[in-house]
Amino acid sequence: MTGARVTPLGDRALTVTWEGSVAVAHPLVRAAAARLEVARLPFVQDLVPAYTTLSIFFDPLDHDYSAVSSRVLDLIQGLEPAARASGREVVIPVVYHGPDLTDVARQTGLREAEVVSRHSARIYEVYLVGFAPGWAYLGDLDPSLVLPRRAAPRQRVPAGSVAIAGGQTGVYPFAIPGGWHLIGRTDTVMFDAARQEPALLRVGDRVRFESRT
Amino acid sequence: MITVVEAPAFATIQDQGWPGLRGAGMPVSGAMDPWALAAANRMVGNPEAAAGIEWALTAGRLRVDRQATVAICGPGLEVRHAVEPGQELELPRPTGGRFLYLGVAGGFDVPATLGSRSTYLAAGLGHVIKTGDRFPIGTLRGAEPMTPAGRPDYGSRVVRVVEGPQRHLFSHGEWKKFLESEWKVSRASDRMGYRLEGGVALKAPAADLPSEATCVGAIQIPPDGYPIVLMADGPTVGGYPKLAVVITVDLPILSQRQPGEAVRLSAATIAEAQSALYSSRSTRTSAEPPEL
Repeated sequence: MTGARVTPLGDRALTVTWEGSVAVAHPLVRAAAARLEVARLPFVQDLVPAYTTLSIFFDPLDHDYSAVSSRVLDLIQGLEPAARASGREVVIPVVYHGPDLTDVARQTGLREAEVVSRHSARIYEVYLVGFAPGWAYLGDLDPSLVLPRRAAPRQRVPAGSVAIAGGQTGVYPFAIPGGWHLIGRTDTVMFDAARQEPALLRVGDRVRFESRT
Repeated sequence: MITVVEAPAFATIQDQGWPGLRGAGMPVSGAMDPWALAAANRMVGNPEAAAGIEWALTAGRLRVDRQATVAICGPGLEVRHAVEPGQELELPRPTGGRFLYLGVAGGFDVPATLGSRSTYLAAGLGHVIKTGDRFPIGTLRGAEPMTPAGRPDYGSRVVRVVEGPQRHLFSHGEWKKFLESEWKVSRASDRMGYRLEGGVALKAPAADLPSEATCVGAIQIPPDGYPIVLMADGPTVGGYPKLAVVITVDLPILSQRQPGEAVRLSAATIAEAQSALYSSRSTRTSAEPPEL
């Protein structure tokens, strides 16, 4: 295994970081997460895969850091990058009438219909779930739609808002503050505590937005 | 049944939270001082993981409709009462720290979601307790009531930290500044995070990090250079560099600090953090030596 570094994340977690770009590192993150899930290590409380890192949370009363890190390093020896995101394909219907659609069109120099067709044409990969329960960071956005965050974040973005910022897109799972550009709205529930698996999306899933009127 | 006669300014039901749902973006949440809630439960013979009331800021009053044993726990306060039917119980104003905890023998029988009875307001789970709320007392059976042990050193102003995943992005000089500054817990501190102020602003690295997992106790350095310690309801991922992480046994010392109170941070190794944790627990259980 090359280019991976293990660091403690406090006394009850560790983070494996792969060197290189997201394009190089993320397939290794997914492969490592898959290997750890299959191994069902009794000490693992939680796995958090991200762009270039995989964090492993363990119960510090049962297992110490050095034992966990050497076991994890052993397991991810000789890792091959996961060729393609292997998760489910999820379709999210969107009504593209977001309050920032006009502004996004103006800033990108595209017509509104063009913003919609470029946003809904891609199949996005789930890189990371977090920040808020069920919030999934999806990429990569069509380069023509890449804009910095709004200068003034909103105090309250309604749940179900479909938004873009930088090279990413996502859906607000709850009404929370946010600085992304709101281009549409979906009824899809991103986080439901009554579900066995409460977050709709997992790292490795692929997502397509479908325009509805 | 327990009836809230007068709700404290900020009270919620909490247990030990959701430690296994970070991958879904769910913070651990639960008690800000997990030791004090576990201790209140132990004093009434409950399992440590039972739910209790966490409150802050002001006093409150409850009434029970049957005989019950309750315990109140927090910095400088560990009391058990037998309460008679119809009797009112005062929830004192927290003075020795920020939060106090009430445990009742049998536990609070409120619905569990995804394995926890904790309140996590951002996802609409639970609510801030208000006057008139009624909570059923559960039928949990634990062990014999026990005196709490392994108490955090609440009187200490020193909180131990281990180096964080992005320590290497900061110079030795910045690390020294971080450890030698006299920090104060800012008023802008809540269940999500405590801001530290009063020290010298640190020089945050310019690097643009892709977001990755955080943890409770992680100390992030945002561009303004003033540390933010992530607490129970803090986000599960973030892009700010994590210079250090508070060790598990010292988290209650920090979470119980009131706004304006001073803290100093001192460096520990992972081995020191873990042996402090084992010895705090081994006073309660005969801990097995760690192995895989």
